[in-house]
Amino acid sequence: MCKTLNRWFERLLETISVGLLISLAVVVVLAVAYRKGGASLVWYDEVAAVQLAWLTYYGSALAALKRGHLGFSGLFFSLPTGVRTVLFVFSELVVIGFFAVIGWAGWYLLEVFGDETLISLAWLPLSFTQSVIPVGAALFIVAELLSMPDAWQKARAGIDYEMVAIEEAIEEAQRPS
Amino acid sequence: MTLLLVVIGLFSLVLINVPIAVALGVVAIVGMISSKGMDSIYNAGLTMFDGATNFPLLAIPLFILAGALMNTTSISRRLINLTSALIGFVRGGLAMVNVGVSMFFAEISGSAVADVAAIGSVLIPAMKKRGYKATFAAAVTSSSASIAIIIPPSIAMILYGALADASIVQLFVAGIIPGLLGGLSMMGLCYWYAIKHDLPREEAFSLGRLWKAFKEAGWALLLPVIILGGIFGGLVTATEGAGLAVVAALVIGTVIYRELHWEHLHKAMVDGVMQTAVVMLLVATSAVLGLYLTEIQVPQSFARGIIGITDNKYAVLALLNVMLLVLGMFLHGAAAIILIVPIVMPLVHQIGVDPIHFGIIMTLNLTVGQQTPPVASVLVTACSIAKTDIWNTTKVNLPFIGVLLFVLLLVTYIPAIPMSLVEIFYR
Repeated sequence: MCKTLNRWFERLLETISVGLLISLAVVVVLAVAYRKGGASLVWYDEVAAVQLAWLTYYGSALAALKRGHLGFSGLFFSLPTGVRTVLFVFSELVVIGFFAVIGWAGWYLLEVFGDETLISLAWLPLSFTQSVIPVGAALFIVAELLSMPDAWQKARAGIDYEMVAIEEAIEEAQRPS
Repeated sequence: MTLLLVVIGLFSLVLINVPIAVALGVVAIVGMISSKGMDSIYNAGLTMFDGATNFPLLAIPLFILAGALMNTTSISRRLINLTSALIGFVRGGLAMVNVGVSMFFAEISGSAVADVAAIGSVLIPAMKKRGYKATFAAAVTSSSASIAIIIPPSIAMILYGALADASIVQLFVAGIIPGLLGGLSMMGLCYWYAIKHDLPREEAFSLGRLWKAFKEAGWALLLPVIILGGIFGGLVTATEGAGLAVVAALVIGTVIYRELHWEHLHKAMVDGVMQTAVVMLLVATSAVLGLYLTEIQVPQSFARGIIGITDNKYAVLALLNVMLLVLGMFLHGAAAIILIVPIVMPLVHQIGVDPIHFGIIMTLNLTVGQQTPPVASVLVTACSIAKTDIWNTTKVNLPFIGVLLFVLLLVTYIPAIPMSLVEIFYR
C-alpha cells in the first residue's frame, strides 16, 4: 500500500517537475529566437523566474521523496543505533515543522496578494504564481512522510543514502548501453 | 553573541543529519522570530520564494539538463578514445588520458559524482589491468574531476556569480587559465609518477587513429565550442547559452549520434530536476538566513572583525583561504558557496579584491574540499569503482591535492593568472 502510494506520488512529482523543466527550456529558447528576430518577449524575465521557483519547490519534494537533499551524515552514522533512532525522529520533526511553518506563511500570503498580478502579464494573478509556497511545502511534507519508513530502516541499519546514490551512479555508468 | 548562537544552531542541526537547506531556514526563522516577533514568518515565506527566482540561476537547470543529455549518449567513450589517440603514447598515458578527459568533460553533467562514475568506470579498470595501483587510479580520477569545476561551464561559478552579483561570463573566462594550469600540472605529476614506477605507454601515435577518434567525438566537442563561443562572443547570455546547449544536445543525441532514447531522456530530465532543486532549495532558504544576517549586520561585523586583525589584502585572502579549506572539508561545494558568499562579500569589496578574482579563489578552494574527507563524494565514488580504501587513496592523492593548493596559491597571489583574459576581452 505504502509502496504503491510512494510510486504514484513519485510519478506525479516527476511529471510536474519534468514538465516545468521542458517548459522552462522552451521559454528560454523562444526568448532567444524572438530577441534575435528583433521582437523581445516582454514577459520572459518574469515568467522564467517564476518557472524556476516552481521547479525548485516541486523538484525539492521529489528530492525529499528520494532523500536526495544535501546533508552531513558522517557523525550520524558513527553513533550507536539507539542515539541514531532518537536523532532520526528529532530531525524528521524539524524538517516537517519547518515546512509546516513555511506552508502556513505561504497560505496567509495568498490572501495578502488579493487581486495583484504579474507586471508583464496583467491577467496572471500573483496568488496563482505564489501558490507554489503552500502547495510545495505540503508536497514536501507528504514526500517526507512517505519516504520515512524506508529512511527509518536505513538509519537503524546504518545505510547512508549518499552511499546508495553513489553505488547507483556507478551501476548506471557500468550498464551496457 | 547572536552570531555565535546562529553558528552553533546551524552546525548542531547539520551534524544530526538535518538537510543543510532546512537547517539554514530553521536557524533563520528562529532568529527572526526572536528578534522581530511572529509576523516575520510571513516575510520568511516570501523571501524564500524570491530567493528561488534569482534570474541568472536559470542557467543551472539548463546546463545540467544539457549535460545529462550528453551523458546518456556514449560521450565518455568517444572522449576517452580521442584523448587516448592524442596523448596515450606518452609514458603513463592512461593516467594522462584520465586527466585530459576530465578537462574535456568539465563538469558536463553538473554532477561531479555522475562524471566520475562515467569516466572512472571505463578508465579505472583499464588502468588496473595495465599495472597501475588501484589507489593511484582512484586518486588521479578523483583529483582531475575536481579541477574540471573551474573550467567553464561551471555550476559553481553560476551560483557564485548570481549570489555575489558578479558577471558569470567573466567568471567563465577567468577560469580558463587556472583550469589549464591545474590540468597540465596534474599531467606533469602523472608523467613523473609513470617514470618512477615504470608505467606503460599505450598505442603508438597514429594520425589515422587520431582523425578517426576526432570524427567520432567531433560533435560532442563542437557543443561546448558553439555554446561557449556564443557566450564569450557576446552573442548570447549565459542563460541563453544554456538554453541553446539543451537544443544542441538534443539534436546531437537524437539526430546525429542516434543514441538518445525516451527512457534515457526521461531519466536524464528527472536527474536534472533533482540536482537543480537540491541546489535551488539551498539558495532559497539561504536567502532567508541572508536576510536575517543582514538585519543583525553580520557581514559588516565579520568584515570589521577581520579588518581588526589585519587590513593587509594578502593576509586577509590567506585567512579566507584557510576558512574556505576547512569549510570545504565538511560541506558540499554548492552549500559552502551559498552559505559563505553573502557573508564575505562586503569584506572582499572592502579590501579591494575583484569579485571575479575572488570567485576563482573560492571555486578552487572547493575543488580541494572535494578531495578531503569526511565530505568527499567525488573521492568516495572513485574509491568505490577502484575497490580501494579512502585513507590509503588519500595518501596517494596528497601530491595531487598539493597541485590544487599550488594553483590556488598562484591564483590568490598573482591576480593576472585568472584576470588577464578578463582584462583583455572585457575591460
